[in-house]
Amino acid sequence: MKTSISTAALLCAIAGMAHAEKTLTISVYSFAQDAYKEALYDPFEELCGCTLVVETGNSVERMAKIEANAADPVIDMAVLSTQDALGLAQKGLIAPIDPATLTNFDKLYASAQDPIGGHMAVGYTYYASSIVYRSDLVTIESWGDLLGEAVKGRVALPNITGTQGPLTLMMLDKAAGGTGEDLSGTISAIGAKADDIVTFYSRSSELTQLMSQEEVIAAPIGRFAWGHFKQSDLPFAWAEPKEGQAGGMNVMVMTKDNGNEELALQFMDYWLSTEVQTRVAEALIDSPANKEVTVSDEVAENLTYGADLINALNIMPAQTVIDNREAWVEQWNADVIR
Amino acid sequence: MFMNKKEGLILALPAALFATLLFLLPVMILLSEAFRIDGSWSLQGYVDFFAKPLNQVVFLRTLKLGVLVAGTAAVIGYAAAFCIVNLPAKSRGRVFGLVVLPLMISPVARTYAWIVILGRTGIVNDVILGLGLSDTPVRLLFTETAVFLGLLQLFLPLMIISLVSAMENIPRDVIPAARVLGASWLQVFFRVILPLTKEGLVVGGTLVFTGALTAYITPAILGGSKVLMLETLLYQRVNVANDFVSASVIAMILMVMSFSANLVLKRIASARS
Repeated sequence: MKTSISTAALLCAIAGMAHAEKTLTISVYSFAQDAYKEALYDPFEELCGCTLVVETGNSVERMAKIEANAADPVIDMAVLSTQDALGLAQKGLIAPIDPATLTNFDKLYASAQDPIGGHMAVGYTYYASSIVYRSDLVTIESWGDLLGEAVKGRVALPNITGTQGPLTLMMLDKAAGGTGEDLSGTISAIGAKADDIVTFYSRSSELTQLMSQEEVIAAPIGRFAWGHFKQSDLPFAWAEPKEGQAGGMNVMVMTKDNGNEELALQFMDYWLSTEVQTRVAEALIDSPANKEVTVSDEVAENLTYGADLINALNIMPAQTVIDNREAWVEQWNADVIR
Repeated sequence: MFMNKKEGLILALPAALFATLLFLLPVMILLSEAFRIDGSWSLQGYVDFFAKPLNQVVFLRTLKLGVLVAGTAAVIGYAAAFCIVNLPAKSRGRVFGLVVLPLMISPVARTYAWIVILGRTGIVNDVILGLGLSDTPVRLLFTETAVFLGLLQLFLPLMIISLVSAMENIPRDVIPAARVLGASWLQVFFRVILPLTKEGLVVGGTLVFTGALTAYITPAILGGSKVLMLETLLYQRVNVANDFVSASVIAMILMVMSFSANLVLKRIASARS
């Protein structure tokens, strides 16, 4: 009797240890974490019987941590922009994701299935980027209008160091008749008009106050920030420029040799499921990459939603950003910031 | 005070250990990064930093704004401190409380207020337009003027507090005596008040100059990337470029500037006496 009680106790202890050891560490963007907890983290913990350790911060911190701990990864799975994911892939810090292990893989838009090549990442959200403007003060029909007389001294542009910066430069170049690949001429053009630009912002949240007090009447932003302006009493409008909208995608990656691959893939698959992508979309957190997600028109209005829109986005290839970022920043500092 | 030197040392040990382990050591490790290039000791980080025109501009701008803010704070601070110490005791306490009050409000909130005040529809532009000084609103935000005003407002109380403390120690009859003997107010200031309050000026000047150099929130909000200062550049190097060598170089430059300011002010103060 005594022996069987001891054995049962031992088994319980081992089971407890096994349960406690089942932990997945993820590194994500810091916004909307309460909403994510409700829509994704809590249901997944219940499903897998595991514990999610959620680390937040900006992508530079995330990449630095992954690189510094490459020999013994402390992060199992992370979300990044396509260019940052490609940067990690080129350094051999992330592992390929076998599409066969993701039951929801085929439900994704084609561009989200293998966005950086080699199946090193999978897209989980899209964002369109266009121009928000005060419709009572100005009309915006082209990206080129950002450097026009109508908004002179009352326009803000994103800094080159952020995600929106290169996208805006690409669209300005296209508006000027370029292909959006060689941005040096556009950077020089912005430099020549630097005094007419109120500020080069790093975060779209900086714009809310500036646009409310008419300091700025037009600025490029990501669709994810549109909600702040839409709720305002002031007449803000989302431009439909003739060159189209720019866009981008955030992706999931899995660190190499983290020893937790099975659970990481299970989590990624769950995040990509129609159920979770719908919940996340309805909470207006992220736009879905799963093409089976259906939301109301009201919700869709706040998102980058639907095949027509997603397929029409002007997306800058991640490799282009990686190849040119340093030169762009160098020229930007010399010509624009001075 | 202590029975022996050992007792004093034992009492100082926890604070010394705390400062050494949790402040000095990490700071030294961080700063040593600025001298390590590819595993060997080098000054190349500094050469590279100062070779870039943007960094030169940012360095000079930071120095200029630091000196301007400290200098202006000293001028306004002397006037304010002189008024405060000559108030009746009851009013003095109240006015001094008003001077200290801004220090109890978050610098973020204080700086954000300037976005409204200096904006196109803010009070400053209302006055400019009202007085007919300009036909259209003047752009003040994201200029050196905005950063200067924000920093001055942020650190002026520190200068006033230092100068009030120093002025309270001036014997009551000294200034009337100088006036009776025929000194003008300018002579009273340079020959009596300034020499007797030099310690307060050194403390206040160092606090304001160092504060202006190392402030992040105010230059970031009111200057943005158009008016980069060393502190905002440091943040960019770490958070955008993950470039800890440049960041360490900037941190070292800021430290050297702060210590140099203190030494220069002390030198000026001792030269006068």
